[in-house]
Order: sequence, then C-alpha cells, then structure tokens
Amino acid sequence: MRYLYIIAFLCLFLGINQDLKAQQKKTVTGTVSDNSGGIPNVNIFYNKTAIGATNANGSFSVSVPEDAVLEFSYIGFKTVKMSVAGKTKLTVKMVEDDNQLKAVTIQGYVSKSKELSVGSSVKISGKDLQAVPVASITDMLQGKVAGLNIQQNTGSPGMRGSIALRGLSNINVSGSGDGAFLQSTSPLFVVDGVPIDDNSNFQYGFQSAGPGISPISLIPQQDVESMEILKDASATSLYGSRGAYGVILITTKRGNSKIPVIRYNTQFFVSAPPRLRQVIGGRGERDLRIAQIMQSDTSYYRSLALLNATEYIADSLNAYYNNATDWQSYFFRSTFNQSHNLSIDGGDQAFNYKVNFGYFDQNGIQENTGFNRSNLRMNMQYMPSAKFKLYTTINGTLGKNQKGSGNGLLNTGVATGGASSSLLPSPSLFSAVNSVLGAITTDNDNKTTELNTTTEMKYEFVPGLSLTSNFNYTFNTGVEENFLPSTINGNAASLYTFNSVKNSIYNRNLLNYFYSIKDGSGEDAHNFNAYAFTELDSKNFKADVIQNNKVVNDYLRGPIVGVDDYLTSLGGTLDNFDQFRSVAFAGNFSYNYKRRYVLDASYRADRSSSNGPEAGYIKSPSIGIRWNLQNETFTEKWREWFEYASIKLSYGTVLQPQGNIYDVYGRYVNGAVYNGAPTVLMNLGTLPNSNLQPTKNTTYNAAFEFGLLKNRLFGTFEAYYKQVDNQLREKPLANVSSFTNIKTNEISLVNIGYEASLTARVFEPSKPFQWTISVNGAINNDYIAHLPDGVREFIYVDPSTGQSIMYRLGQNALTNYIYNTKGVYANDSEVPVDPLTGLRYRSGANNSFLSYYKAGDPRFTDLNGDYVLDERDLVAAGNSQVRFHGGVTMDLRYKRITMQIQGNYVIGRDVLNNSLASQFASFNNPLAIQNGFRTNPSGVVPLGAYDIWTRTGQLARYPNPYDYLRSGITNPYRTNQTLFQEDGSYFKLGYVSLGYTLNQKFTNRFGMNRVVVGGTASNVFLITNYSGTSPESVSDLGRDSGAIYPNPRTYTFNLNIEF
Amino acid sequence: MNKNIFLSFLTLGVLSISILLTSCKDNIPDVRLSLSDDSQFTVKSYQPVLGRNTLFTDNFSIGSSSIPLNFKIVNMRRFTGEAAPELTDYFPVQVWKSAYDGSEKSIAEIEAKRKIENHQLFEIRQHSGQFMMWAKANSNFVRAQPDSGYVFDVEVSNSGGRKYYKDFKLRPFKERAFEPSTIIANVGQSTLLGGIPFFSNIRGERTGRYLSQSQEDVVVLFNKKSDVGNSLTFKFVDTLFNPIDPSKFNTTQWSSLVHGFDMVKDAEKVTYKVAYPIPLAAYPTQYTVGNGERALSTFKYERQGFGNVKEAAFLRLEYAIFEKGDWEIIIWFKTERPKFTND
Repeated sequence: MRYLYIIAFLCLFLGINQDLKAQQKKTVTGTVSDNSGGIPNVNIFYNKTAIGATNANGSFSVSVPEDAVLEFSYIGFKTVKMSVAGKTKLTVKMVEDDNQLKAVTIQGYVSKSKELSVGSSVKISGKDLQAVPVASITDMLQGKVAGLNIQQNTGSPGMRGSIALRGLSNINVSGSGDGAFLQSTSPLFVVDGVPIDDNSNFQYGFQSAGPGISPISLIPQQDVESMEILKDASATSLYGSRGAYGVILITTKRGNSKIPVIRYNTQFFVSAPPRLRQVIGGRGERDLRIAQIMQSDTSYYRSLALLNATEYIADSLNAYYNNATDWQSYFFRSTFNQSHNLSIDGGDQAFNYKVNFGYFDQNGIQENTGFNRSNLRMNMQYMPSAKFKLYTTINGTLGKNQKGSGNGLLNTGVATGGASSSLLPSPSLFSAVNSVLGAITTDNDNKTTELNTTTEMKYEFVPGLSLTSNFNYTFNTGVEENFLPSTINGNAASLYTFNSVKNSIYNRNLLNYFYSIKDGSGEDAHNFNAYAFTELDSKNFKADVIQNNKVVNDYLRGPIVGVDDYLTSLGGTLDNFDQFRSVAFAGNFSYNYKRRYVLDASYRADRSSSNGPEAGYIKSPSIGIRWNLQNETFTEKWREWFEYASIKLSYGTVLQPQGNIYDVYGRYVNGAVYNGAPTVLMNLGTLPNSNLQPTKNTTYNAAFEFGLLKNRLFGTFEAYYKQVDNQLREKPLANVSSFTNIKTNEISLVNIGYEASLTARVFEPSKPFQWTISVNGAINNDYIAHLPDGVREFIYVDPSTGQSIMYRLGQNALTNYIYNTKGVYANDSEVPVDPLTGLRYRSGANNSFLSYYKAGDPRFTDLNGDYVLDERDLVAAGNSQVRFHGGVTMDLRYKRITMQIQGNYVIGRDVLNNSLASQFASFNNPLAIQNGFRTNPSGVVPLGAYDIWTRTGQLARYPNPYDYLRSGITNPYRTNQTLFQEDGSYFKLGYVSLGYTLNQKFTNRFGMNRVVVGGTASNVFLITNYSGTSPESVSDLGRDSGAIYPNPRTYTFNLNIEF
Repeated sequence: MNKNIFLSFLTLGVLSISILLTSCKDNIPDVRLSLSDDSQFTVKSYQPVLGRNTLFTDNFSIGSSSIPLNFKIVNMRRFTGEAAPELTDYFPVQVWKSAYDGSEKSIAEIEAKRKIENHQLFEIRQHSGQFMMWAKANSNFVRAQPDSGYVFDVEVSNSGGRKYYKDFKLRPFKERAFEPSTIIANVGQSTLLGGIPFFSNIRGERTGRYLSQSQEDVVVLFNKKSDVGNSLTFKFVDTLFNPIDPSKFNTTQWSSLVHGFDMVKDAEKVTYKVAYPIPLAAYPTQYTVGNGERALSTFKYERQGFGNVKEAAFLRLEYAIFEKGDWEIIIWFKTERPKFTND
C-alpha cells in the first residue's frame, strides 16, 4: 500500500507546469541499487518534479542544474536525497523503509496512516507470503500474526486450515465423534474493498454438498500485494455484522512502473507423505493373532476350535489369505506439482494496468485427490485528473479438485481401508476391501468457476470532499460429479451431479470529507475527517442435484436411462436454496490534534433479510483513542534512541444476526389432504422464537506500540477483553410441549488475552549482512459467563465416542469430560472391592462376570464410589483449545542471498489421541466377527514401542490389548479417557526458504533484469511430546481421529524472472 | 539514563493495560461446582429386608449438578418423631476386604477376605447417594413392617452449596432367613410348608409315573438347627420322613454342590462346612446360578428305564441362606420315593 503515498505525493504535482528557470545544466549518470543489485523504475525528482526513472539495470541519466539536489524514491524504500554539486556520476544506495507508522492501513474501507488508526491491526507484506506454494494464502499467515491462530489441520489440496482470531467465539458443537466440529467462526475476507463470502460452507468444505473450494483459494499468492488482519471491534465495526469474527483484508497488486514489468514465477514442488502408521504384515500378523487367541481365550481347546473356525488365520495356504499387503501404499504417494504465474504490469498514476495469469496444480498425497487452479486477473486504473479516478478489475478463476472418497477434510475411506488386515489380498475387483477401490476408482471431479468484476469511481467535488462509489458483481458456479463404478456399487454404477450457481451484487457509496485548522505557525493543528457510506448486498444461491443409481454401464455415463422409480433416480433443488439482501448505513468521525491525540468514532446500522421485519436495524458502535508520543515536543530530546511510542484504547460492539427466518417464524409444511383440500401444518421440530436476539460481540482493546534505535527494535503489546453475548443454541423442550426444540440466545462467553510481538534487526541497515528476528505470541483464556436456563453447568454428550464436553460457568469454555485413568491394575488384588457386596469394581451397568476389572485393566477413577464405572464417574479433564500460540520468523540476507525461516508453536492444548486408541483397539476382534457375521479383519500395529501390560505384577502405562473376550465389555481402549489425552504442544519449523539473486550483469545478457532462484522445504520438522502423527492434524476440538488428511512435507524449487 | 525513562515508561504501559483488563474479570462468574434444582432422588421410600446386605442403586438423578456430590443422612428418626439410636449408633458389621470369587479353598481363606468394622446399620454412600442396609440389622431392635418405620432427610452438597431432601421413608421388612421364602413380606408369616425344587425325569418308585412339580409331590424344607454352627446339610426323605441315601443320586458332583468344605456323606445325609451367607456374593461361580444371585445345588442320577433307555434325572435347588447357623435342607418326597433302580 505504500504506493498510495506516492499517489498522494504525485497528485500534488500533476498538472504543474515544469517552467524551470533557464540554468546551466549538466548530465548526471549513475546507478541506484540495494543489497542485491540495481533497482529499476526508481523515480528521480528534482525540485519536487519527476524528471526521470532508472532503467532495468537501475542506472539512470538525467540532465539537471549544477547544484541540484536529487530525490530518489521507490516504494518500500527510504527516499534518498543527494546533491550533484561537483559530480557527474552518482552511486545511490537505497535501504528498505520499515517504519511501521508510515505504513498505510485500511480500516472501514478508507485508508489512513497507521499513526492515526486506533484499531488493532497487523499488516503482512505479500513478499513474506511467497515461500511455500499453497492453495490458500491464509496458510502462509500461520505464526506471523499475534492472536491469529491458524492450524493447518488438513493437508487436502485446496482446503484451508482452521482460522481463529483471538480465541473462541462460538461454543456450539455440531456432529459427533470424529466428525464433531465447532461451529464456524471464520473471519470476513475483504478482497480489494469487496467483502467475500467465505462462510460456513467453506470453513471445513464438507458441511454442504458441492466442490467446497473456498473463494480465498481462488486467489494466487503471487498476486497478493499485502494482507492485513483487523483484530478489534474498533477496526472491524465498520464492516458490520459479518466482521464480528475479525476481518482479513487482501490487497492485490497494481501496476506502478512506467516501464512495463513482466514477472514470471514458477514453482516445482514435491509433496511427500508424512510418517505413516507402522503395521505388522503377513506372517507376523498371523502369528500375533494366533498367540493372542491362544493366550486370551478361556481354554486351550476352545482356542484351537476358534482358530480353526477363523479361516483368515487358519487357512494360511489359501492364496486369498496368504498375503502381506501394505494397504497404506495404495493410498499414499509422493507427488510432483507445479505452479506458474506470469504478470505484466505498468503505467503511472494517470493510467496503470496489471494482468496476472496463474496456474497452480497440486496432486494430493492421497490417491485421487488434488487441486488445480487457473486464473486470469486484470485491473486498470485511470486517473485523468486529480479529481477523478476510475479503477476496474476483472478476475476469472477456474478451480478443480478431486476429493477421492472423502469429504476433503476427513478421508474415512482411506482410514478404514488403510487399516485392513495385511493377510487379505491387494485391492482388485474380486477382493473384499472395497473402500480401497472406492477411494481409487471413484471418479470425483469438481469444478468451481468464479468471475468477479469491480468498478470503483472517485470524484472530488471540492478539496477535502470526495465521493467514492464501488460496484462489484461476482458469479460463482460449482459443479461436482461423482461416479461410482458398478464393481464397487452393487453391480450398478451410480452417478451424482451437483450444480450450484451463486451470484452476488455489492455496492458501496462513500462520501469523505477532510478539513484542517492551521495553528499560528501554519501547521495543520486540528484535523477532522468524516465519512459516511451506504452498503448494499444481494446474494442468490441455488444448488441442484441429480443422482442416478442405475447407470447403464461403467463406460456410458449418460443419458440417464433405466429410471424405474424414484429410488434409482433422485434429484431436485437442495434445501440450502438462499436469497439474501442486506443494507447498511455507516459513518465515521476522526479527529486529531497535530497527530498527537487521535479520537475515532464510528457507527454502523445493518439490516438484512435473514432477520424478520421486526428485528430492525442492528447497530454497531465503536470508539477509540490514541496518544502518539513521538509527536510530542518533550520526546524530541530522546531522538537518538527513540523512534515512536503510542498508546491505543478502543471499545466496540458488533452485533451479528443469528439463526434464520424459520427460527423466528417457524416452518410450515404441507400436510395430508382434508376434505379434499390440501392442508398446511406447522413443523413441530423447532418452536418459533420471536424474541431471537443477535449475538453481541463487545471488545475492549488496549495497545502499546513502540519503536527504538532507529526502528531496529520495535514491537507491540496488546491486551483485549472480548465478550460474546446472546449466543444461539438449540435446546430441547420438555416432552409435554408439542415442540421438540427451541433456539434461544442464552450463552455468554468471554475471552481475555494478551498479544505481543517484537522485531529486532541485529545489524545496521547499511551493513551487507542483515538479520531480522520477529517473535510473536498470544495468550488467550476463555470463560463461560452464562448458560441456557441459568444453569451453572451442562454436558454435551457425544453419542458416538463418548468424548463429551462440559460447559461450566467461570471455567474454560470447552472442557473434555472423560474418564480419569490412573495406570493399569498390576494384580487382581489392586481392584477395589465393594465392602457391602464383596464384588470387585466393574464396568458399566452390565453385570456379566467379565465386566469385573482385573489385572491388566485400566485403573479408571471411581468418582462416586459406587464400584461401578459409568457416566457418573466422568471428570472434567483438559481444555481442547489452544492457550498460547505464536511464531518466530527469521530473515537473513547477505548481499544477493536471502534466507527465511518460519516456525510456529502452540503451548497448552489437550489433544485426544483417538488414532492411538483405535490402534490398540484393533486387537479387540481377532476372530473378525461382528453381530454374528464375519467382517473384514483389521490390521495390527506393532505395540513394541508402547508400555503395555502383559504379565501379572507389571506396572504398565497401557492396559492389556489382547484380552479380546472382555474388551467389548470393559472397553479398556475407550477414547474418552485421560490415557489418550495428551499434551498437544508443539513447535513446528514451518518452512526454510533460500533465495539467490543472479548477477544482473550476467542475466542482462539474456534480457532478464532480475532472476531469483530458490528452494523451500516446508513442514520440516515438529518438536512435540505428542505420540501421534502430528498434534496439528487434529480437529478444532482437539481430536486426532487418524482419518484427517495428513499435511505433506513439500520441497519446492522456485524461479522468479523479471524482464 | 534516557533508556531508563523509557523502560519505566514501557513497564508502566504494559502494567496499566494488564490491570485494566484484569479488572474486567469481575464480569466472569466464579468457578463453582453446580448444585442444580433438577437433581432429584427418584426413590423416596426404601423397604429393605432385614438380616441381609441390601444396596439401593440408581436412586438419584444428577441432572445438571457437578459431580462428585457429597451425601449425608441427617435427622434419622422414627415415624413418630423420636430419635432412632438403633440406626444412628455404630454396630460391628462384616465387610468384604477382598473380592470373593468362588476359588477359595477353605473357610479360613474366605474369612480372611472379610473383617468386622463398625458401621451405622443404614448408610448412604458418600458420593453416589446409594443407600446400604447391613445384614446386622434385625427386627429385634429395628422396627420392621407392619410398623411405619423411620423418616430421615438427606443433605446433598458440593462447593456450589447444599440442599436438603426431606422425609425419606425407611420401612424394612422382617427377616427372611432364606430364599425362596414362603413368608409373606410385610407380615413375616408363612402359609405354605415349603418351596418346590426344579426337577426332571424323576419317576415314582410305586407308580412309575413322573413326579409332578407341585406342593403335593415334592417340597423343600429349610431348617435351622442352631445359630452357632457353620454347616449345611442336605437330606432326602420319603413320605414317612425316612431318610433316603444321598448316594442314590449317583451322578451328582458332590464337590461342586455347594461352596463348602469337609464333606461328610452317610446313608442319611450329606453335610458341608460352609461360610454364610450362601451365596457369599452375587458373583457367578460354579456353585451359583448364572447371575450369581442364588446358590445352585444339583443332584443327579441315572437309571435304565423301560426299553433300555437311559433316564437321566436331576433335582435342582436355587436358593439363598442369609443367616449363619447349622442349616438343614430337607427334600421331602411327599407321595412316593423316587425310583433309582433299573427297569
């Protein structure tokens, strides 16, 4: 955004005649360079008039008066002034400008100097987001912004990781078991001034049908100029209700060079699967199974009989059972991928343009998954006079992805297929494990096409008063085609086609007025800025689906014939059909006195069609103040070491409408025919609640910023208090009522957190060796402040894995509510005995004699002392949310070599290792019989690495996995126990990137101006105590299901050519 | 020096911000355990049978209270309102220290697993709210039905507060020393002679018919000969109470008939040294029925029937004895003796 400065600068002088005095002139030549070589397109000013620019090598030649003082300015670098008196050849060295305060920030659609902004925001330059090829640029923000918690919990191509800004905003859980997820609270994305709908459909990508490609994944990282993360309500309130969870602004590149610049960037990268699960194969598995049955069953002869009846173990000479299949090898692969990006930009203030063509192709490390993107992005700015500006963009993108048999985030087909017994034959049409074929032979082809155009016009009526009008149209179609061949689908191929159309129209008209009162010395003393805007938004979405379950054969996939009945041919419009309209009015007033004291207040009123007519306007006010010490006169004597310091305080409220129109007015459905006339009935599922309130997010923010020693050390410390009131939750009604549920707003949540970031430049900026270290960290504590019906506590019971969640007032919001395991019973005599009944402690209500605990069983705490383990013994143990997270970035430069190292860390998170539990549990059915039927046997993992109980008297950590007779009853490897709750703290070395700029003299011979070659290794290593694959590849409720798409390790080769 | 000014300034800034926000914590409720209104006892009237250990479970619904909760019986009183020292005083009762599993080899080994402790006869489990009545309580000093019994209150507490649940009723039944009992529970009297065993394929000696499973043909009588002993005797008698030699039940597994020791078998009876109660715990063993609630003693014999068929007959007793003593179980063939001889 620094070029805006130049815009402002140039604006002043555009149209001024260059009537220089006739002086004796001389020609001055020279070069302008930074540490890595000549800089092209550096503007050269004399007497505040542009008189030339450097060429592609950074050299220039200008004709100026004898004693002229030249100014060299270039975006991102400090302006250099140099006198030509007595010289004809100049060597100009430019250093990068990194004054944080001079940066321009955009808040509430209006750009302002960071020095005058009261909101909390962090800006990341696009240059720092290029090291690793990623589909979604948000992945590159990981560890770079204090308070922005990004967990790359899926490696699925095209999907982005989870994003949470400043802790938790919603405590509602949807789904159960491994599919349980927090309801989405994704920040609002604003791309070049246009809000982008990256709503819950894209948070996980699988919650609704369709390709599930986020619009953010359609923006190539090479085209991003900068990203800015707005954190507090003062910064976001002008974005209205959709900005309640924070706002991320993305600014794409624009042309800014008189000489057209052509940049070509290519990345070749190898994605390698991470460490996979170890399995025992072939004879090892058979021997282990035999030993298990012989040792664990009740008697020798019964064991023999069971073995003989279990053909996959006994029939070792049968070719079908005499294998050592490595199932995971059928799913996982290393892939070679590429990305190309070509951009052409040029022009000046009056007219500039940019064209960017990008191609990105990534094959997933799991078979049949991948993401492929092609895009053409263009923008143009036309500014015939200082009063009028026209800016347009046209962006077209085609995204394609394959999800295999999974849903993008979870790939359960792979997880179950990959866990099959190695004794079974490798996948073929005649083998039993169909999930493998399902994952590999399913044709899954998804396409997302997006066309996005924006026109922005600005007109300045009188100096200080301007009107900006922005109009955007976005058209997005999603197509999913899924074909299941007949061999894996009960002898009839099945075809599924999804087709969605979404269009949105967005308009904003902004009136801005600026006024200053000068003091006695002619300096601007009292500065006023006020603006107001209206915002209109209209969205339509419709999705249609056709499913034909009886396709003729595997080769002819249409036309749809053989439609016998509605069961074989399904289709229609999906019920997520949506039309949305919203209107907003907003205003902002800011005042500063000599840039020392800043006051900023804003107000926004929103109204949308998702609320009923009685909901009225939703109002979001905010106010903030700022004190800049560097502009005080008393700090001038500290100049040697003091650069800037300021204190900011802000308050803001953002309201967000909740629920939908059905929650307010109820849902009416057609009922039976009565008296020959159709009837309309009310759906009794949800009781209408006409008193539904919007969720209220209140934030208080306090910040302290400072820069010392000529900005070689600068940092920020922030503290916030974020309260979320009136959170929506569905609660059950008493069974005496006709309705089942009601949705109410009764939950309140508070987040209190501290964020700090510190950057240090170890050496003077003029030295050839540069070393910059940035460290940031954020602590967040969440508390529940109110619960439905005024209760102090309630439990969300997970029906499938039993990994329940406890909500208790005053405590952290999401507490794991599980059994407490304190080791393993070494001897039978250690099991507690009920003094009244003489019976041992037992599991559950089942009083089979197998349910009594004995040696080798887990020592679960009997919380209520009734000698029975049941749900009354659950304890509050562990917090699934991240308490402390942050990152470290190191930047090293020596002449033409650059190196960037990025790491991020999480401290304090409890992860439930369901994956490990299921590995132990794979021993609980050696006979492969379920409900009386033979099932596919599962594979076994080596347990040598684990301290399991094998003999009486042994003090072990893990219970006896082999006792399959009792494990169905005692369930020693249940996932909801503290045995599998592990510390998920980690430090990840995200990437190491190395770049080298080739000698310009050499590259110029080939007509190339700047050539940078480099390499990056990402996901390099992880330091953790966690025993599973990765504590990052877990759901946002901290559960490692083992079915989550693992994060690949990538090695990238990078080439940048600038012509 | 200037740096010191700045450093102190920085510290001040950081501190003031922290204090500012920490003061906001006033809005956050304290962490306290919940004691909710929807926590309820689901059973308010308890009617244990005296003379045996009784455990009442699943009598408390936790609702949205936090666990663990603390339970306490308060204000135990007779129905008439006067104090009930018989239930508030401590008595020596027999408690289990190790689990009984049926593998014990002697009475001493069983007794080593039990010991005497002082308890109130009617207790509530501290964290689960289950009620326990110890076998020591008997109708000599505890008021049994048809008396109206006792009334008491329960205090439930945790760090979130305390609640009182009032006017629980305790109305014990008189002892029934053995089961299946013919005693009518709330009266304590019997109208029948004894129970009927389950048997099959037993033919009468006189008529050759299969004996019928009714009060007319076969009756089991439980007879306690003394309170001090530790034995159990099985006797078979004919219509005139003449003993039948137990050895006639020739395929009976005498060692697993009952969990007893030192078997003495003569022509009239078979006697074991046993530990009471029988069964000792509701744990399934070879001496009990499938769920372990009752002892199981099976007498079997085989004979050659008419037409050279093997007739395997058995007689099975499912029973429990709660009081210690020298007990005698008499199986009385009221109409005719079973036929043991071959045809």
